[in-house]
Amino acid sequence: MKKIKQFLTSPAATVAAFVLAVALLLFSSIGGARAALAYYSENYSTRVQMYDIGVTLEENGKSVSWRNYDTNSSDGSWNESAGALLTQMLPKGEQLQIGRKYKEELRVKNTGTINQYVRVSIYKYWTNAPKGENQNETESSAKRIDLSPNLIKLHLANTGNKWLVDESASTTERTVLYYSKLLKSGDTTPIFADSFSIDGMVATKVTQTTETKDGYTTVTTSYDYDGAQFCIEAKVDAVQEHNAEDAVWSAWGKRVTVDNGTLSLD
Amino acid sequence: MKKKTTILAALAVILTLSAASGSAWAYFTTYAQARGSYPIELGDRTTVEEDFSAWTKHVSIKSEPDSEPVYIRVRAFCGAAYQLVYSDASGKWSPDSDGYYYYSDVVKGGEATDVLDIKIENVPEDIKDPASFNVVVIYETTPVLYREDGTPYADWSAKVDAKTVEGSV
Repeated sequence: MKKIKQFLTSPAATVAAFVLAVALLLFSSIGGARAALAYYSENYSTRVQMYDIGVTLEENGKSVSWRNYDTNSSDGSWNESAGALLTQMLPKGEQLQIGRKYKEELRVKNTGTINQYVRVSIYKYWTNAPKGENQNETESSAKRIDLSPNLIKLHLANTGNKWLVDESASTTERTVLYYSKLLKSGDTTPIFADSFSIDGMVATKVTQTTETKDGYTTVTTSYDYDGAQFCIEAKVDAVQEHNAEDAVWSAWGKRVTVDNGTLSLD
Repeated sequence: MKKKTTILAALAVILTLSAASGSAWAYFTTYAQARGSYPIELGDRTTVEEDFSAWTKHVSIKSEPDSEPVYIRVRAFCGAAYQLVYSDASGKWSPDSDGYYYYSDVVKGGEATDVLDIKIENVPEDIKDPASFNVVVIYETTPVLYREDGTPYADWSAKVDAKTVEGSV
């Protein structure tokens, strides 16, 4: 007995125990690979519930952009599409009218099989318009930081109880909204924007260049917003319902409280 | 030796826990995004076209192609001894209390206004040369603005917010 006790307290026993622990750990991970079906029935049937997350951005009732996990695919890939906004804004041949309100109803649909919480980040900014015929192309070009995003009026809807504005993350260029309710699979949120317009102030911002030559002074006036294009961008983020507070913190870096299916900002 | 034993034991515990940590930190997330843009075209170039006959100036304002739609107003000046009488066949020119005649239609790029006739009255019979008269026609344009429902309007009181730049020649 004394010898056994002496062995157990020896360094050799400790090292042996550690090696055994590591060996057990390694074998535990390959245990599944060694499992074999020993018996099966001819009338075997099963029901499998897939946990796929997916979200879609809708503009005026039409899906424009989505990213849905597809477990039916062989490699578990994403079914995704990145569309463009404002493509149906004007009838063909009609020009944009400064100050006119255009319908722009934006909302989010849960196109996955699990419930989720969603947020939307909206960006408004100006860039130089592309030259040539491809005036509707959406390739990004340099931002015009000298032009004001405030003159792009995207009118938000249902803010307050349904869509929460994260003031701490919002700027003149960006607005961040959190949907306060759990968005169930297949459901659609209320709209978070209903219209947009370009402020008539764009027609009052000018630069006057004064040139003097041979005693004559020439003043040339040019519009600051002429040749610029406005851009509206919406990004929807979705995260799982289960363990939502930690999931939101991990995925979005935002502390929220979820109480009985209602999300509030901390 | 006892310290080493404790360290080894702690290491074994950490290794065991770390095997399960990967799944605990993974969350289902996804996203979707879309972008839209549209160019703004501002600025207009207009010219006045005048004909003179029978002591009447026939005035029309023409907008060059690619100009933005504008509203136009016209006014003429002459010596106090004479009187100017405005008229037009289309009925689209109408006076206001400020002395300007306003054209009712929006003039788009490439279009021109209907003619506004400005007749000089009380001309002495001994004056035969129209060049001895100095009737000055001025016109102004303003960009067409739109109300929320799409109704066009002109804001003649709008003031530009101008930055001044010194050019080089």
